[in-house]
Amino acid sequence: MVKGGLSVPWAILMSLTVYAGSAQLAALPLIATGMPLWVIVATGLVTNLRFVIYSAALRPYFADQPMAKRAALGFFMTDFTFTLFMRAAQEGTLPERHRDAWFAGVCSNNWMTWQVCAITGIVAASYVPTDWGLEFTGTLALVALVGPALNARPALVGALVAGVVALLAHGLPYRLGLFAAAIAGIVAATLADSWSTPRPPRESGEAS
Amino acid sequence: MSAPVEGIVLAAAIFGLALSTFITRTSFLLAGARARLNHRIEMALRYAPVCTLTAIIVPDVLMHGQDAADFSPLNPRLIGVLASALWLVWSRNILGCLALGMGAYSLARLFL
Repeated sequence: MVKGGLSVPWAILMSLTVYAGSAQLAALPLIATGMPLWVIVATGLVTNLRFVIYSAALRPYFADQPMAKRAALGFFMTDFTFTLFMRAAQEGTLPERHRDAWFAGVCSNNWMTWQVCAITGIVAASYVPTDWGLEFTGTLALVALVGPALNARPALVGALVAGVVALLAHGLPYRLGLFAAAIAGIVAATLADSWSTPRPPRESGEAS
Repeated sequence: MSAPVEGIVLAAAIFGLALSTFITRTSFLLAGARARLNHRIEMALRYAPVCTLTAIIVPDVLMHGQDAADFSPLNPRLIGVLASALWLVWSRNILGCLALGMGAYSLARLFL
């Protein structure tokens, strides 16, 4: 962020309030070149579109929680914590009660680690050479999340379609290609699911 | 090209970005019981994590900073991801996955 043209205090403020790595990365060049405010905010919205999907997927689990708690759980959700939650829900390792506390625990750990690392990065940015390729660990962490989920045909089909669409649509601005790939993958996985042999319905995860 | 955004405008931009992350992440959660989706759609959303993460990973590995996909077996990122994937076949340990992947990636960048 500092290398993107923000001074250190502004970068720290942004890290604390805009908890969205991809939105920050997309918005920084626009801020640095003095684009109009509405373009910056619209970019933030589009970059975050996939979280609308996540939010819809989490809704049934937390529908009975108070409004403030739902807002907090949503705000502190990330790709990583959402995936951990959905995996636990599908494997049945999620506690029947206090799912909100389970999720809050995962998210707060993730948030603190992220902020400590981000602020360290902001302050130390000029001392760490970018050619070490350390950012690749982020990609590998996502691989570690996806790998175990590829255990059935629908998930494999979904991942394959999402990957291909992501490559083809990579040129679209504001990470719209990512959103398109997610939708295409979800549709493909659902079709593959309905075409495979019928199974007893899974636990829908509706809050009891 | 105009000057970088500063001061009050920068504060407004950061506030707007914070708002955009909040609105998208809490959309359906805040709507709560009023936003019941079709059961089929809610079942379909189980596949949201695996599809979105794959869509993040694949271009990052194959097109990192380029316009065309690099399927070459000498692509260090591809080598790193394959090493991580092999590790995941027999272990779910994330640290091992990261260490092996980064090791393979770094070696490939040094020697290929």
